[in-house]
Amino acid sequence: MKARSFHGVSSIGQEILLVVVILALFAVVGWINPRFVSENNLTSIFVGNAYIAVAAIGMSLVIISGNIDVSIGALIGVLAVISGLLVTNGYPVWFAWLAPLLIGAAINTLVGCLIAYARVPSIIATLAMLSILSGGLITFTGGQWISGLPGAYQLAQFRLLGVPSPIWFMVGMTIIAALLMRYTAFGRSVYAVGSNPEAARASGIGHASTVVKVFAIHGAIAGVAAVLFATQLQVIQSTTPVGLELVIITASVVGGVSILGGVGTVVGSTLAAILFAAIGSSLIFLNVSAYWLRAVQGVLILATVLADMARRRRTG
Amino acid sequence: MKKLITALLGASLLSTPVSAQSAWTGGDDQPTSPLACEGESPAPEPGEYNGGTPTDAPDRNGQEITVVDIPKLVGVGYFASTASGMQQAVEELGNITINTDGPTRANIDEQITFVDNYITSGVDGILFAANDPVAIAPVLKRALDAGINVVGYDADAEADARQWFVNQALPNGVAKSMMDQLASEIGEEGSFAIVTSTFTTPNQARWISEMQAYTEKCYPNLTFLETVEAQEDNILSFNQAQTLINKYGDELNGILGMTSVATPAASEAVQQNGLCGKVSVVGLALPNAMKPYINGDCIKSTILWNTVDLGYAAAQVMRQVADGTLEPGATTVNAGRLGELQVVNQSQVLLGAPKVFTKEDINDFDF
Repeated sequence: MKARSFHGVSSIGQEILLVVVILALFAVVGWINPRFVSENNLTSIFVGNAYIAVAAIGMSLVIISGNIDVSIGALIGVLAVISGLLVTNGYPVWFAWLAPLLIGAAINTLVGCLIAYARVPSIIATLAMLSILSGGLITFTGGQWISGLPGAYQLAQFRLLGVPSPIWFMVGMTIIAALLMRYTAFGRSVYAVGSNPEAARASGIGHASTVVKVFAIHGAIAGVAAVLFATQLQVIQSTTPVGLELVIITASVVGGVSILGGVGTVVGSTLAAILFAAIGSSLIFLNVSAYWLRAVQGVLILATVLADMARRRRTG
Repeated sequence: MKKLITALLGASLLSTPVSAQSAWTGGDDQPTSPLACEGESPAPEPGEYNGGTPTDAPDRNGQEITVVDIPKLVGVGYFASTASGMQQAVEELGNITINTDGPTRANIDEQITFVDNYITSGVDGILFAANDPVAIAPVLKRALDAGINVVGYDADAEADARQWFVNQALPNGVAKSMMDQLASEIGEEGSFAIVTSTFTTPNQARWISEMQAYTEKCYPNLTFLETVEAQEDNILSFNQAQTLINKYGDELNGILGMTSVATPAASEAVQQNGLCGKVSVVGLALPNAMKPYINGDCIKSTILWNTVDLGYAAAQVMRQVADGTLEPGATTVNAGRLGELQVVNQSQVLLGAPKVFTKEDINDFDF
């Protein structure tokens, strides 16, 4: 095991690269159309996509631990609907905010147990969960939207010190998760389990319990993302956002989290989520078809993975 | 990676902005048939009847008939309101009973089972809104073979699997309603952008092309800015509308929402930006989704068809089919309080112009 990748240090280059690309993008598009870098548009870019960055934090933990979760989009959809139904059925607002975190953690603890103890590969376990959640959601809601949400429930529309709450959540949770991953025994065990499960087991790190914890945390974070998602508008769409899981996984991977596990940081995934949001907005400002966004995301994934491979070959 | 983005930005610099004269993005290449700017348009020839005919149907003229209504699903506001329209017709006519029954989710297999069961139990007529036009055809043909009158509404089946279909709106009618409403809100010289699902979604592409044709004919001084895609996703629609507002600033007077997702999301963006009354949102949406914005005086209207009238018209058509007064070759249908409805597309009855829901009446509808 390489000490470098153990602490995820090798991905710091990726973070600097992302910052440079984001700044370059803002500079160039802002030069072409100054309205792109207006306060309004910068706020839109961050606020509208903060829930993706938040969800990518949990996804990064999952991928660093050597697993994957393709059910995240469906989970966010289900948790958003649960939250909306609670508040419209008279439950207190704080309960409607908290319940998605607890339910998300509970559902993903179950998934984590399947993976860690029943040894079901994570792609299979979460693919099954994807079907259960999205199918259950459509059957349960019949496609009906939830409306009549009270104003006090609209967490994502609140501001603190003039800054919209989704930005606080995105930045705050990224910092907490980054510190957790870097300075705690738990954080180190996640890297260890992901980079070399056998060695981790031999050195006494509880492989199974680490994976379960990672999924539980990921589920709770998905709950936060779901609340931000649900409280952004005055209606909640009761279908799962198409392709959301791929956007979230892409943010993690382009953020420098190795799809092979053991490497990466949550700061990178948040930066990548911001980059995608900025690219999406810039395409409109530049009159380029939004179809390019997917193409660009695809190219970024390939470039990142190839760079990761090359790095591994060089250091290995 | 940086190179790629620089290259992409460079390439886009070379592309010129869309001029007002070129085709609106998001439209299709099909021919258009814009309606008259003012007043009634002359009815197009309906063409030769291509619906089916029941086999050995008994003489039901003036007889008491029993009809089952099988919508895509029951328990949702949309089909509850079509069913209530049917009951209005039942009260007026007096010699027809309609029982609404169907699957609790929009599932074609379950819907087929319902149709099958009602053929077996014996009814005089079947009203349906199909979950799948092709898959439902065989069982509807069996109903026709059993001498049952079959009339569709809202969502059609293959033409020869039913007798008539009550069509809620034609693309040129949707286009006229949208652009008339937009011009009435932002004036005939304003600028607007469109939020659609994707450039290749058939319905939306058809409507956008018809809107362009109608605008060139009736509102030549309206300025089309651009079309953005937002899938059918709530948050993406919101973000895209938000970006349009940021990009165009004061230049943007109106946003056209082409989907029932985009319209409320664009309204939300306008409201959150404090642009109520400055930027209009005109679009297709379910009344319930638009109530917060219309009741809050931020947005003036939402456009859709009147679902109560749709159910009412379907029941009226069923009665006349059973009576034998609506026969192949007819060009109009007398639909009670709705007056004369046009026959279009060989075997369809057109409900009429879409309805513009405003603060005055939107709370009377729950779907």
